[in-house]
Amino acid sequence: MENRTMIQEGHLLAAFNSAHRVMKAEDVLKKLGLQVLLIPAPRALSTDCGLALRFSDEENFSIMQALAWEKLLPAFVCRRIKGGKYEIIWNNDENIPST
Amino acid sequence: METIDCRNMSCPAPVISVKRALENLGEVCVLLDDGAPRENVARFAGNRGFMVREERGDNGWVLTITAGTPANVKSPYASKSGNVVFLITSDRLGEGPDELGRLLMKNFIHSLLETGELPYRMLFLNSGVRLTTEGSDLLEALDKLAGMGVEILSCGLCLDFFGIKDKLVSGGTTNMLTIVETILSNERVIRL
Repeated sequence: MENRTMIQEGHLLAAFNSAHRVMKAEDVLKKLGLQVLLIPAPRALSTDCGLALRFSDEENFSIMQALAWEKLLPAFVCRRIKGGKYEIIWNNDENIPST
Repeated sequence: METIDCRNMSCPAPVISVKRALENLGEVCVLLDDGAPRENVARFAGNRGFMVREERGDNGWVLTITAGTPANVKSPYASKSGNVVFLITSDRLGEGPDELGRLLMKNFIHSLLETGELPYRMLFLNSGVRLTTEGSDLLEALDKLAGMGVEILSCGLCLDFFGIKDKLVSGGTTNMLTIVETILSNERVIRL
């Protein structure tokens, strides 16, 4: 089941609270040549629009910089960990720095 | 066994010729060009339960198509399980803003991976072929679906119309004969 899903262990997901924001964020990041994929947010993450951007740790810094510059920061960023769980590594409210 | 020469024929002429030959003779040896003609004929025969042996000849391919498939020989083109076929006629889902339609289509196909049930075949037509070609955001998802046994087929005529025949990444090409036969078969066809 793990291999068939679009989200593998180690992937990062940026969850947004608006379809317009996530679509705009995807557009901005792709124009910058950053590797992101817009996918349905997994059931485990409750997001208002049901969409998330998937990316890798290597792109995390550049993506967060770009989104901050464009004022398009997500609601939160989480990482897929073992057992199909997610750990939040950045939260827009608490402003925990992204690693 | 009779041999028919279907080289230098455009799709779907080779499939139609082989179909007629099989109806009249029950088995046939056919000479074909590589690529879509060979794939389409092999798939057509495999889906109808014929055994297909493929050999590369001096000028193209030789497919020997014989009736019945022995239990120990499984045609690589035999139908997958399940009876649902998706007919995807656009790169957008539903009517409304293009941007939203494209997003919904991506969302739909990605969500398929999360479900227990899968279609056995996905046919991409018209602008739907943009989803199976270079630059599509769905290549990874389609690759996973293909790995799970879903047959991914794009309309060759449509690829040709858009000038992206050489950009096909996911699955193979098909023709209108196969599409019509699929629709008229006992499969449950869901148009998107």
